[in-house]
Amino acid sequence: MRLRKNPLLAMALVAAALAAVLAAWAGTSWYAAAHDDAADFAASRDDALAAARQAVTNLNTLDHREIDEGLDRWEASATGELLAQLRKGREGFEKEVREAGTVTTAEVLSAALTELDDRAGRADVLAAVRITVAAPGEKPQAKESRMLGEVTRTGDGWKLSALGQAPAGDSAGGDAGESRGGQAGDGGQ
Amino acid sequence: MSTTRHLINRRRRTALPADESPAPGRPASAAVRARTRPRPGARPADDAGDAGKRSPGPARRPQRGRAERRDARERGSGSGAGAGSGARSGSGAGAATARRGGRLTAALGAAAVLLGCFAAFAAVQAGGGDDPAAENAALVDAALTSEVKGGVGEAVEAVFSVDYTDVGENEKAARAYLTGDAVEQHRRMLGDLRKQAPKQKLVLTTTVTDSAVELAGDDAARVLVFADQRNTRTDTDETSYGAAMVAVDAVKDGDRWRISNIDTFG
Repeated sequence: MRLRKNPLLAMALVAAALAAVLAAWAGTSWYAAAHDDAADFAASRDDALAAARQAVTNLNTLDHREIDEGLDRWEASATGELLAQLRKGREGFEKEVREAGTVTTAEVLSAALTELDDRAGRADVLAAVRITVAAPGEKPQAKESRMLGEVTRTGDGWKLSALGQAPAGDSAGGDAGESRGGQAGDGGQ
Repeated sequence: MSTTRHLINRRRRTALPADESPAPGRPASAAVRARTRPRPGARPADDAGDAGKRSPGPARRPQRGRAERRDARERGSGSGAGAGSGARSGSGAGAATARRGGRLTAALGAAAVLLGCFAAFAAVQAGGGDDPAAENAALVDAALTSEVKGGVGEAVEAVFSVDYTDVGENEKAARAYLTGDAVEQHRRMLGDLRKQAPKQKLVLTTTVTDSAVELAGDDAARVLVFADQRNTRTDTDETSYGAAMVAVDAVKDGDRWRISNIDTFG
């Protein structure tokens, strides 16, 4: 009876009830989204893949005129065994590239994860990469490369812990052994 | 002494309504008592003498309290009083009701706004509906991912394998596993080879070595495939090997994955 006499009150009551229902619904879906393991896993997958693409690009890019910055970027993109290999081979490799005077650039054409262990923070990645090498006095040469890599989660994001060419050619049906870290040396050739 | 008592009694009689008999024990009206009580000069002995005719002290109290409460209500200070009686009384109480209604409306309005704000915020936070990461089931749905991998691998091996003894097999595979743009793309890639196959006694075998699902949905997927190809010319007994990589789009057709686009990164 009081509501009929006061339409404003009735409207406020309806609006509050409607808002309460909306708030309950949105709150529930917020809670569900915040506790969605699949969404967390998907986010990790995308993070790992994005980092892998960038790291694969970095590790196949090197300009002999900025070799220190380039090799620093290599090391910043790597961790674990791959990083140890890069550090060990850095001096000799630097000399090689300076002498060759090459500029190498890379483009990831396509990449995807084959496996992701979110808890352990490790993922395996497949990448199709186009590497273009420009040597002084020569036409730049591009080649497509099939790469297998492994990324590991560090305190500073996902980094490559292994990278190599997928075994090719006459290995059809044979052993598909992955040569870890082998591609790193390939980048400057 | 007696004069005083008589005076009091007379006053009490005249003050009482005509039809109301001052029966002993029955409490007198509050107004009378209020007037008689503070009478100056009345000695304790007088009061004690009268006390016998009136109700005992403690019994008067509730009555008096009720009267005071009624007084307060009639003065129109509505706050705290029962809402029902307030609504029923005069114009002053009506204003109070309106004020109360206004406050309730404002409170409900504020609640609506606050709840609405929360709902909007929570909906944005939830935002699961259009999260691209969540929509891609690659690796998240292990069963689907493996189904896509298997289906696409099977399709790639079938459509990129040709045996000169039965070239029709490859055409059949193309019809079964290809759709959309992939049909024409496949024809351009293998048309010549298929024509030469019987003449050169060609056997092309494609073996998928690695594949990774980039995107996976219930009825569409994108897969990066690494494959080895062995091409043997039986007439000259020459064999060449090739390393292939393709990114294929696939669509689910019934319970089979069919390739709808082939990207050779050319």
